[in-house]
Amino acid sequence: MSQAPSDWEVVIGLEVHVQLRTRAKVFASSPWGFGKEPNEQVDPVVLGLPGTLPVVNREAVEKAVLFGLVVGAEIPERCAWDRKNYFYPDNPKNYQLTQKDFPVVVGGRVEIELPGPSRNVMGEHRFVRIHHAHLEEDVGKLSHAGGGSLVDYNRAGVPLLEIVTEPDLRSAAEAEAFLRSLVAMLTQAGVADCDMEKGQLRCDCNVSVRRRGDARLGTRTETKNLNSISSVRDTVLHETARQVRELEAGRSITQETRGWNAELARGYVLRDKEDAHDYRYFPDPDIPALRISRETVARLAKQVPENLYDRQRRYVEKLGLPYTAASVLVNDRALAEWFEAAVAAHPANPSGVANLVANDLLRDLSAAVPPIPLSACPIRPASLAGLVKLTDEGVISKQQAKEVFAEMFSTGNEAAAIVDAKGLRQNSDTGELEKIIREVVADPSVAKSIAEYRAGNEKAINALKGPIMKRTQGKANPGLVDQLLRRILG
Amino acid sequence: MAEGFDIDHLAKLARLSLTAEEKALYASQLGQVLGHFQALAKADLPATADDARVVDESALRSDEPGPVLGVEAVTRLAPASRDGQISVPRVVDDES
Amino acid sequence: MADALHELSAAELGRRLASGAFTSRALCEALIARHRTLNDKVGAFTHLDQADVLAQADASDVRRKAGQGRGPLEGIPVGIKDNIAVKGQPLTCSSKMLAPLVSPYDSHVAERLRAAGAILFGRLNMDEFAMGSSTENSAFRKAFNPWDLERIPGGSSGGSAAALAAGLVPLALGSDTGGSIRQPASHCGVVGLKPTYGLISRFGLVAFASSLDQIGPMARSVEDCALLLDALASADARDMTCFGPSGRALTPAGDARKLRIGVPKGFLGKGVATEVAAAVNAAVEFYRSQGCAVSEVELPSADLAVPTYYVVATAEASSNLGRYDGVRYGHRSAVSGTPVEMMTASRSEGFGPEVKRRILLGTFVLSAGYADAYYVRALRARAKIRAEYLAALSGVDVLLTPTVPTPAFKVGEKAADPLQLYLEDVFTIPANLAGLPAISVPCGASGRLPVGFHLVGAPLSESKLLAAGRLFEDAHGYAHQQAPL
Repeated sequence: MSQAPSDWEVVIGLEVHVQLRTRAKVFASSPWGFGKEPNEQVDPVVLGLPGTLPVVNREAVEKAVLFGLVVGAEIPERCAWDRKNYFYPDNPKNYQLTQKDFPVVVGGRVEIELPGPSRNVMGEHRFVRIHHAHLEEDVGKLSHAGGGSLVDYNRAGVPLLEIVTEPDLRSAAEAEAFLRSLVAMLTQAGVADCDMEKGQLRCDCNVSVRRRGDARLGTRTETKNLNSISSVRDTVLHETARQVRELEAGRSITQETRGWNAELARGYVLRDKEDAHDYRYFPDPDIPALRISRETVARLAKQVPENLYDRQRRYVEKLGLPYTAASVLVNDRALAEWFEAAVAAHPANPSGVANLVANDLLRDLSAAVPPIPLSACPIRPASLAGLVKLTDEGVISKQQAKEVFAEMFSTGNEAAAIVDAKGLRQNSDTGELEKIIREVVADPSVAKSIAEYRAGNEKAINALKGPIMKRTQGKANPGLVDQLLRRILG
Repeated sequence: MAEGFDIDHLAKLARLSLTAEEKALYASQLGQVLGHFQALAKADLPATADDARVVDESALRSDEPGPVLGVEAVTRLAPASRDGQISVPRVVDDES
Repeated sequence: MADALHELSAAELGRRLASGAFTSRALCEALIARHRTLNDKVGAFTHLDQADVLAQADASDVRRKAGQGRGPLEGIPVGIKDNIAVKGQPLTCSSKMLAPLVSPYDSHVAERLRAAGAILFGRLNMDEFAMGSSTENSAFRKAFNPWDLERIPGGSSGGSAAALAAGLVPLALGSDTGGSIRQPASHCGVVGLKPTYGLISRFGLVAFASSLDQIGPMARSVEDCALLLDALASADARDMTCFGPSGRALTPAGDARKLRIGVPKGFLGKGVATEVAAAVNAAVEFYRSQGCAVSEVELPSADLAVPTYYVVATAEASSNLGRYDGVRYGHRSAVSGTPVEMMTASRSEGFGPEVKRRILLGTFVLSAGYADAYYVRALRARAKIRAEYLAALSGVDVLLTPTVPTPAFKVGEKAADPLQLYLEDVFTIPANLAGLPAISVPCGASGRLPVGFHLVGAPLSESKLLAAGRLFEDAHGYAHQQAPL
């Protein structure tokens, strides 16, 4: 599947449904979580028993507000809930509580990074505008068994934040980059876990195409309920190609709701516009409009973590990290904070620290069986900094540092203690070293090399270093050896 | 104002099936009631109805999980169930 | 002694129970016996779990003996309208749709009553889902006016009013969306109070129209009504629209002789029966004679109240009743096919004609293309009506009108004419639209049929309404009246 032919432009808008990280449901006190038996997490309110009433979960509101602050949105003084009426067996009240006219979050933007020409080179950055985000309830789950269907209401009432973008995305790659950036921001702020395996993030994808340069938007289709980033990407690619094919064949696009079959990699029509629902929205009379205090907004603003790409820019520009290491570190807030704690303990060489964290540490954590989470990392940030410092000061060589790192990872001991215990400390005593060097230089077997060196062959000096290192059992500081040798040879 | 009163469409939206007699009866009765509602169409009204009660965050629920009904109670309430789930006739994709 | 127990007021029962004159069990047994002989005639109750009642009574007697009585309602039976959830009891709303439902939870008011030591006594008949003014819309049985068994008791809390008038229970809970407590109270000669919206938690009240519904007390005297109101009102975190009494006392308070009484201009001209007008005018004159300042007030948008109410109430109802689809609880049709077919058949079989009519009306006023003309305009009209009432109540303490334009009509008389029935609520509806407290107090009769007057006050002025009602009641013979059966 290829991108749209160059004379066509695709316009994409996403509606991303994210389950917020709360313990209780959004309008009921029933708990929720993955891996429970069907209908275990249901109370009278969730089941919509007659007489029950919704009460909004404070944490769900605060997570929604926090998201708004993460993307620089406006948090209106008031938000309100509406009823969206439609009959479906997974919808316990046959209306869904949502926010139609007064959402909790208005506006905002998400910075995205497109793939660069290679892994080592940063791609272009853009902003995608958020239209609004509203707080609503999830519905139950239907499964099919035999001739009938079964309903599990565990998911009903789980807090969902629906994040609606402006139609700012122009390619499948941009849609993918947006979702990756959004997921990083949501998880780094603790708003949501976004575990797609568990259905915690689901997308509706609006796609239209138009001739490049055309100011008017084409007729769009909406593909519902995509539960992975790859499904969104594939849907955009397929839908773009399908629409271009239709238009080029002189047919028109029908405004319709579509589904996506990820197994068959195929889209299909769910219903066309004539079948559009009449949801009969009206303000929910059970939930009064909610005033969100500016004090709450200010308090939550303090919880907003540094933006992913601000952090990346700081690492590259202020700390001098290569893009590759910076991009690995900033994707995971805990990892970035671990790295920064290590840098704080040894500010002289952030790149050296980054190199060990982004390469050796991550590799060993994930290679362990079972993989070790960063939170259980056997090495503390300050200890890793100590290792880098020993290397930087020439106490051990880079080669020795690898050995010490492995030892630190398996024992959790400090670098200095391992160096001492293994007797790895490099010899930096110039007096003794100078005596050894003079003895080696005096040995007739190296006379030829000395002559060559003096004749201008720089490399010939290396032939002398081997015997010196041998005499010092490898403990001599190579830099110091080189320096002294040159002085002695004149 | 009562123009366009489509009893079939409303019955479908409301998930009610009506006999021909019921349709005729309800259509005429509702027509009469809507006629009485003309006063509403003619009245001089304020531009907004912004009189809804507003609550502050103290009305919100804390994020403390509470008791659940239990699968047994849920299935006991249900007219039909199977393996702890509520059974319904087979749902065809997006039948709603 | 047992013969007379049903005639005593709740306050008097409380005093005698406290003095040890009889036990709660004896009281409940007496009422159960009366229930056996009279309920078939009156149709007030749809369900009475005698074993459960007696177990509650025994528990109350044990508490009292141990010195752990819970207050003035300890051991006193309270009838519960069948749209208020009581754990382990049916919650049918007098609908076939919910005939199979046993509530797995207690409403807030049920919890309050239990905490007050009261006996939750049976399930009271009502119009299906509280939609109606005659209790003729009950799917199970008709209820009759104890004063004339050929006539309706009013509705939708007709079972509650009839039970009180027949001496089947000393106190009852009703719910009021457009007059459903006050209209049957008026027709049956008892006292009924619809509290300020938000005074009593709706948690466990099956919703008809959420922005209008309130639970309220019904009794044979103002004093008893106040007693029950006091037990019910409290803030509840499970209802975001409930704020409780906000520190105000709910018992009759203040000198009712100093109240300023407003009589809406032209109200008595509108289809009000002569005897009703005469009784209500006499009440006005009574208050004037007591020293109250009586003045005429303007409520220019009064004519908008009925249409506004029926748009708002049916819109909310069409959504509130969406959940009854045969999937999770209640009636499921034997018709299978697709889920849509099953739901449609379940709803069509489960709901009665009035409920269907209102669902259709509510669906229409919210539907695409019509919502702005009906629903949105009704919200604006509601705001206007509320503003006019609040303005009027800044100049007077209470507004006095009849509760219902005419006395109770005969069973079947208006069943074919929904619009005429909707107009029964003309005096009671504005209090719901404006969220104001209102009370109906007996003030006379048209032949055998009781007539009540209606007082509306400013938000949280329940104590004034009760004081005004008691002033009238003390000077007249209508308190504690029961129909001769």
